[in-house]
Amino acid sequence: MKPTSLKQTQEGKREDILFCIAAGSQPGQYFFGSSDFGVHQLDISNEMAQPIRFEDGHQSYVTGLAVVGGNLISGSYDRQLIWWDIESRKPARTIPAHNRWIRRVLATPEGSRVVTVADDMLCKVWNVETAEFVAAFTDHRPLTPHDYPSMLYAVAISDDGSLLATGDKVGHVSIWDMESFAKVGELEAPTMYTWDPVQRRHSIGGIRSLAFSPDGEKLAVGGIGAIGNIDHLGGPARLEVFQWRLGKQLFVAEDNDHKGLIEQIAWASDERWIVTAGGDHKGFVTFHDAETGERLHQEGTSSHIHGFVFDRDAGTLAACGHQHWAQWNLQSEAEVG
Amino acid sequence: MKQTHFCGSPDHRISRRGFLGAATGATALAADMTVLDVLSRPALAEDLKRQQKSVILLWLAGGASQFETWDPKPGWPTGGPFAKIPTNVPGTHISELLPEMSRRLHYTAIIRSLNTKIADHGGGYRLMDTGRRDEPGVEFPHLGAIIAQELAQPDSRIPDYVEMYTSTEGRRKGSAGFLSGRFNPMFLTESMIPENIRRLESISQIDHHDRAALRRLLANRFSRDLPSSAVGCHNAAYQRVRGLMASASLFDVEREPAAMRQHYGPTQFGEQCMIARRLVEAGVPFVKVARAWWDSHGQNFETHRELCADLDQVMSALLDDLEQRGMLENTLVISLAEFGRTPKINGSLGRDHFASAWSCTLSGCGIQGGALYGKTDEDGMTVVDGEMGAGDLFATIFTALDIDYEKEYMLGSRPIPIADFGAAPREAILA
Repeated sequence: MKPTSLKQTQEGKREDILFCIAAGSQPGQYFFGSSDFGVHQLDISNEMAQPIRFEDGHQSYVTGLAVVGGNLISGSYDRQLIWWDIESRKPARTIPAHNRWIRRVLATPEGSRVVTVADDMLCKVWNVETAEFVAAFTDHRPLTPHDYPSMLYAVAISDDGSLLATGDKVGHVSIWDMESFAKVGELEAPTMYTWDPVQRRHSIGGIRSLAFSPDGEKLAVGGIGAIGNIDHLGGPARLEVFQWRLGKQLFVAEDNDHKGLIEQIAWASDERWIVTAGGDHKGFVTFHDAETGERLHQEGTSSHIHGFVFDRDAGTLAACGHQHWAQWNLQSEAEVG
Repeated sequence: MKQTHFCGSPDHRISRRGFLGAATGATALAADMTVLDVLSRPALAEDLKRQQKSVILLWLAGGASQFETWDPKPGWPTGGPFAKIPTNVPGTHISELLPEMSRRLHYTAIIRSLNTKIADHGGGYRLMDTGRRDEPGVEFPHLGAIIAQELAQPDSRIPDYVEMYTSTEGRRKGSAGFLSGRFNPMFLTESMIPENIRRLESISQIDHHDRAALRRLLANRFSRDLPSSAVGCHNAAYQRVRGLMASASLFDVEREPAAMRQHYGPTQFGEQCMIARRLVEAGVPFVKVARAWWDSHGQNFETHRELCADLDQVMSALLDDLEQRGMLENTLVISLAEFGRTPKINGSLGRDHFASAWSCTLSGCGIQGGALYGKTDEDGMTVVDGEMGAGDLFATIFTALDIDYEKEYMLGSRPIPIADFGAAPREAILA
């Protein structure tokens, strides 16, 4: 079934910026990483419930969250990872993880490891139970072709946990074997990086999101297309899908109706469609046909979306962003018909 | 006002500015000859040369964020994600994006209390480059032209005022305004080396000299028969053209050692600042290097990570270079923009234009290194101490250079002070 509409079921306004979201073990339970340097918990199944802020722990924006087993693990621009005690909402363990901003935190499907990417251009793997460092690897250059610091924004793990992909500011993607941590493939999406050599003499863009198809054979890459005026996120939201083992690009979808960055991507379980979200000053949720890239449905949102969690089974999508969170139910052709 | 003397000798008790003012007058045939006599005394002429004061203006075009540079507010909703770091000046912290500058703050005064009110690019640029608001019917001289007027040697054959602005966004050319056209900038936009100043290959060096000699012979005869200031200016212009042709090498960074080029870094901004140092070393009184474009309405933090890396390396290299050459004492390095950026972070993680509470720096000549002037409130919305306008900043700059900020230019019969009416220097910033 292909989605034909989104029905918003809940939303909340905030003073802060919510950069990441993770679903808890209870239905309707979510955790957010915030610009107030905190981790927040919200139970949206209880309409009267108010968000609860965990104790202080980080010293900068919280940009990555993973719930794995009974653990909640957060990563931040402060370069640290924190394992939280969800009951007491206190830090249980804090480790210096990277030398620059941590961009994403992701758990492996079987729950034994957590993966981080950061602007030191390293992907690191950690043991969830012990917080011990397992491995670090990179195939991403620390400087852009114009000699400025690069950034490693995106990471994805395949559904079976065997593959990992990392994507950086200049549009380079590497695919890794999760057993050996050997590189098994690479792709280029250079249009995601805009360098303005004449008017403004700096850059913008980058690969901001990655997602493997459920069978692991395709890789969706999200970011922003070429930007004319790089003072703003004024470029088209750009999605590229590859058959990564062949290095073959299957399609490119650019959206000029809702511009900006694609911050997160998810595939339908039957691989028939892909959902993306992101934005510029405002936001969007867009469904694409996974074969052609054709836009199936789109919802504009009042603010930029930084992250979402998509429950394939329940058909719910919960998103967070600039001073806002919301949850939607997907409706498909059959449901609408 | 503080006086700078050429040396400790009582014989030499004459301010450089006083001398230059008189010497400029001499060109108009109204000189005090007892003052001009210093030119015939080689020791004094050498002192003059050593005492030459210059300005390098690092123009952060588009408006750099004070939060991500000189006035960090970590932990506040407006503060953004970056931490603050301690500096070599106890108690003073700056953004973590400027680690090299944090070790060189003893050269630099930070001003955190600019309230200039104009938050559009064009208006902000004119305000911060002239030190006053626009006024119908008057074209005020820009900072570089005033500095050139006050500090340039009357017989200089090199440019008095050079602007490098190679990015195209926000490019605006400075102006001598109602001052002499001599003080308009040499404006470099396409290339870092001035165009059309090399001798044509079709003209040999001998032929070139012969032509100049013939022109000089005819001009001298003409001016003997018909003495006038216009003829004098014509001849002076030719002299300056020859000076410019001879100064082409000043713009050639390849003449710098590899280690020095590495110190400044591989970017265009680095090369331009190296040229700026070469120019002031040769006696150019004012060089503006525009580093565009800081107008980060979207992705402010990513933009500043990129641009601050450039600013941090280049500005610290420039200060090191000037200091090691013994030039920093006589060279004022200014980092300034048309305005700062909003405390509020917008939906694209950007910051917009903001002129109510922002920062700049002054380093080197006449400046109390390590000074921290002015204060904003905890979330950076307003100035709570030491508010300064553009005129006050100009008065402070002039005073640092031993230029009387109350000096007046005459526009017809109207006196116009070089710093705006009511402006005053901030002594706490001055050495």
